[in-house]
Amino acid sequence: MNHLYSRNWWAVSRFLSVVVAAIALLFATSARAAAPGITVAAGGTFNLNAGAGYSSQPDGVAIYSWGYGCVSDSATYLPADFQGIGHCPTMQLPGPTLIVHEGTSFTVSLTNSLPTPAGNTSILFPGLTVTATSCGATPNGLLTCEAAPGATVTYTVSAPVGTAGTHAYYSGTQQDLQIEMGLFGAVIVLPSATPGNCTSSATVAAHRVDYRLAPAAYNHALTCYDREYLTQWSEIDSRIHAQAESQLKLIASCPTITAVQFSCPTKLNVVTEPYRANYFLINGRSMPDNMDANFAPNYPNQPYNANPHMHPGELVLLRVVGQGHLQHPFHEHGNHVRILARDGNLLLAQANNPTGSTLLAGRMEFNTDTTPGQAFDGIFLWSGKGLGWDIFGHTPGNAGNPICSSDANGYFTTASGASIPTYNSAGTMISGSSNYYEWCADHNVPLEANPIGSVGAGGPITLPDPLIIADGLWFNGTPYLGPDATLRSSGPTPMAPGKATQNPTPESGIAFMWHSHNEREITTNDVFPGGMLQMMLVDPYVWNIDETL
Amino acid sequence: MASRKLSSFWLLMGLIGIAGLIPAVVSAQTPPVEQGGGSFRVQCPTATIRHPGSTATGGTGTVVTPSPDTAEANYTGPQVRTATKSPDGHTFPSLTFTDNGGAIKCQEISGGDGMMTEADGNQTYMFSFGPLSGLGAIQNGQPGTTFPNVFNSPYTAGDSLGNYQNGQPNPLFNGTSATDPNAVGANSAISDPAGIMNTGVLNGNIPAPLIAFDEDDEFFLTLSNVGMIMRPDLFEQHTVPFHGYPNASSFYDGVPDATWAINIGGSVTYYYLAPDAGTYFWHCHVTPPEHIQMGMVGQLYVRPRHMQIHGFDPNFHFVGMTFNPEGFADMKDKYFLLNGRSYPDTVGVVAGTTVDGNTLPASWTGGVSGATNPNPSTNAISTTDTDSINRPSQPMPTLIVLNSHGGPNATGQRAALRIDDLDVTEYQTLSSVGIPMLMVGFNAKLLRDEAGNNLYIKTNSITLGGGESMDVILDSTGIAPGTYFLYTPQLDHLSNDAENFGGLMTEVVIY
Repeated sequence: MNHLYSRNWWAVSRFLSVVVAAIALLFATSARAAAPGITVAAGGTFNLNAGAGYSSQPDGVAIYSWGYGCVSDSATYLPADFQGIGHCPTMQLPGPTLIVHEGTSFTVSLTNSLPTPAGNTSILFPGLTVTATSCGATPNGLLTCEAAPGATVTYTVSAPVGTAGTHAYYSGTQQDLQIEMGLFGAVIVLPSATPGNCTSSATVAAHRVDYRLAPAAYNHALTCYDREYLTQWSEIDSRIHAQAESQLKLIASCPTITAVQFSCPTKLNVVTEPYRANYFLINGRSMPDNMDANFAPNYPNQPYNANPHMHPGELVLLRVVGQGHLQHPFHEHGNHVRILARDGNLLLAQANNPTGSTLLAGRMEFNTDTTPGQAFDGIFLWSGKGLGWDIFGHTPGNAGNPICSSDANGYFTTASGASIPTYNSAGTMISGSSNYYEWCADHNVPLEANPIGSVGAGGPITLPDPLIIADGLWFNGTPYLGPDATLRSSGPTPMAPGKATQNPTPESGIAFMWHSHNEREITTNDVFPGGMLQMMLVDPYVWNIDETL
Repeated sequence: MASRKLSSFWLLMGLIGIAGLIPAVVSAQTPPVEQGGGSFRVQCPTATIRHPGSTATGGTGTVVTPSPDTAEANYTGPQVRTATKSPDGHTFPSLTFTDNGGAIKCQEISGGDGMMTEADGNQTYMFSFGPLSGLGAIQNGQPGTTFPNVFNSPYTAGDSLGNYQNGQPNPLFNGTSATDPNAVGANSAISDPAGIMNTGVLNGNIPAPLIAFDEDDEFFLTLSNVGMIMRPDLFEQHTVPFHGYPNASSFYDGVPDATWAINIGGSVTYYYLAPDAGTYFWHCHVTPPEHIQMGMVGQLYVRPRHMQIHGFDPNFHFVGMTFNPEGFADMKDKYFLLNGRSYPDTVGVVAGTTVDGNTLPASWTGGVSGATNPNPSTNAISTTDTDSINRPSQPMPTLIVLNSHGGPNATGQRAALRIDDLDVTEYQTLSSVGIPMLMVGFNAKLLRDEAGNNLYIKTNSITLGGGESMDVILDSTGIAPGTYFLYTPQLDHLSNDAENFGGLMTEVVIY
């Protein structure tokens, strides 16, 4: 019997891993995400490697995995701010995100550095067109051209107009084992042209660093965005990985055993069913590891995080790829997501609308299913519209209480006299409206009947007694958004507002959990919390969101 | 979370806290709004800035709803109005509102534990929410949401002896039946600590108390954490996330990591201005794989019928009642529940009852006769708890009865099914045999594209993942009288643990 199933070992590991998870939470820093990846010029070549290594999990376990990586650790990274930060190891989980342009071709050269008993490997590019391979007209594999152990193959891939969006790539060889072991990644195809109504990179750059890969997800006026996050959802059945690792060791040592009475195995024979996932990953990491920075050194083979941040009113593009075996009901707290596209196919309304323009047809969903091999893009926006009380705790008579005048949509924007928040190179806000994009109908409307501190009275409700509630790690201590309101409404709470580990006073954001609503999947090998769980923060405009941290 | 590892320290405090509460409850109930006596308290104002009623708030314009604490007003279009004073007398510079009417609604629930009865007779332990207001209505399968004038009235109901559910006397008892869905005294909030403990302990319902209010209402939801008497080693907080609330605040979103959670022995009140109409739901968000699997799931609609899919893993629940670590990776549901009941309990109504205003036809031979459980007057299933007291645990059957000529112009009646799924392990499919389904809403949004075209889906099956809701119309027009089935084609889900026939299935009776 494998030691993993010893009950005592399991109980101890569960306890230890809770402690480890708790400690990891304490020391995690407030990191952001973006959608980093590597790119090449049109017609260029990505030199990828398929190799073996270990992924690090928050319960302290290193799991033997396979992944795509780079043959040499040199690449052109996007967004450009990641150029000095990014790295590309010889294997990583998930594989490098390949960023290309619609209407161009690129080549992927794949070297098979997997252990020889693992056999051939390959890559499929569903949704894109492989126009040529080094195998020529007759592929040596069932689905595509495969690289034998130690060998290199090439795929010439075309991303014609119409393929913009987010796509998966993954192994086309012995997929039940190779995809489970980690051989998957994503291709982002940027649109060939940008609609004129989107905020140009130059305009964004005049106010803050632009972390977008493009101003729009598609060449369509309703797909502009201000910020973007890529998440890939996969699982691990650690028994499969342990089997592969132990068989490889046996195969390697077998010929050295004297008086061998049997012929040594030369190929893996890993049982992949029945499938029992016990690790649930977003971008190759379990919570809380996914909250550390992109390219954080403690995860050498898991460079990508999942830690979305946004300001009120920003259009946030969610690029979501289902990898692995299972569907996951990805629940976004905070608001609905407007689904834009499925596998890079923009969902458009039928043309019988009054303006004749093409409008969107994607659903508004608060639960967006991820499905293996399928990708979707969606737009998320949080504004606090319709809460019925002022989320900023604005109170007439308090110094610095800003104005809020409504634009045609009811928000405080440049159309109604607001100025765009602008940050210097140190990330300090130097000009602009701190309540940019406020929902003006709720401006100055009080929440509290018996307020703590200097916020308005006369509201409908008395807040919970701070002595009888337990505060969360992301709780800024008040109902309000931003350090101004947080400091003004401070009371004698057990945890002083702003002492939240993940959400310090200068930030004072409000946090929303983005997670799998098959709740057993927000665990790490039977330990809660963990697994497929991100915390999204809506930050006040006074807090600069630096996606590279 | 990790706090369980600190249980020895917290447990001591917990015992002191509760010991301090129980002797403090001798005083008679003092209605309304706030009173001393431990940390249990409810909030349900009779007037607010948005719904001042006849209270003077200065400013200009007409208040749409004159008595928001007792009644709805017909919607006659928005009124722009300004206010310079809150109903409690605070003045401020003029605030401008678009007054769409609506009223004030309140509800109180307990967070604790309880037992429920599976369709094979097995009794299952739950972490659960139970009703602390609207008790009469909830036992009759109705929402427990009330206007303030009802909520703030004294709870004067009891059993035939005038006792609370646990046998302790209700000093305010005036002869009102605790199962009366209409009497004020049976539906008001229990707001004194003695009443809360005497009622809330072990009174968990599956699904949790139904909440219903209308667009533009202000809703005050008080959660009183009565502790889990079967698990004194746990010191669990509870929360209520309003699942799917558009443009939510984090503060009232109920994710304990992002905000706060209420400790045992205290109450908190959540405040929501009703968002867009739709089918939402709620559940506990503390250690969700545990608390949701264990039953802390409820339904909520911002205005017909609601159905909830859920699954129970009996092994997990058994472990949950004991003091052993729980496994999540091996969680496997064996009971498949519609509104907390598996077939045949889903159609477990007393023979001859009226269902949604329709009298069951004589041709339908289901139901139970001469029964005491389900309760012949309310159809609620009760479960005997570990203190040997019988409490209503599953008030909502899912039998659907439709008159195929009972709609407008003799068309068939249509049923709107509001279906949500809070299974924590698997996707669930529900299929309809004989009656087509028209899926009109998903995740609380009407299925329309941005150009206004319908994207309704005509189908015979629907699939939901955990955390999803769907609105489906069943139209009985032209359907031959008879009994039809809604059931899962995931055939292994048509079982009640070891019983091969049951599970996720209910009946639609057309006459």
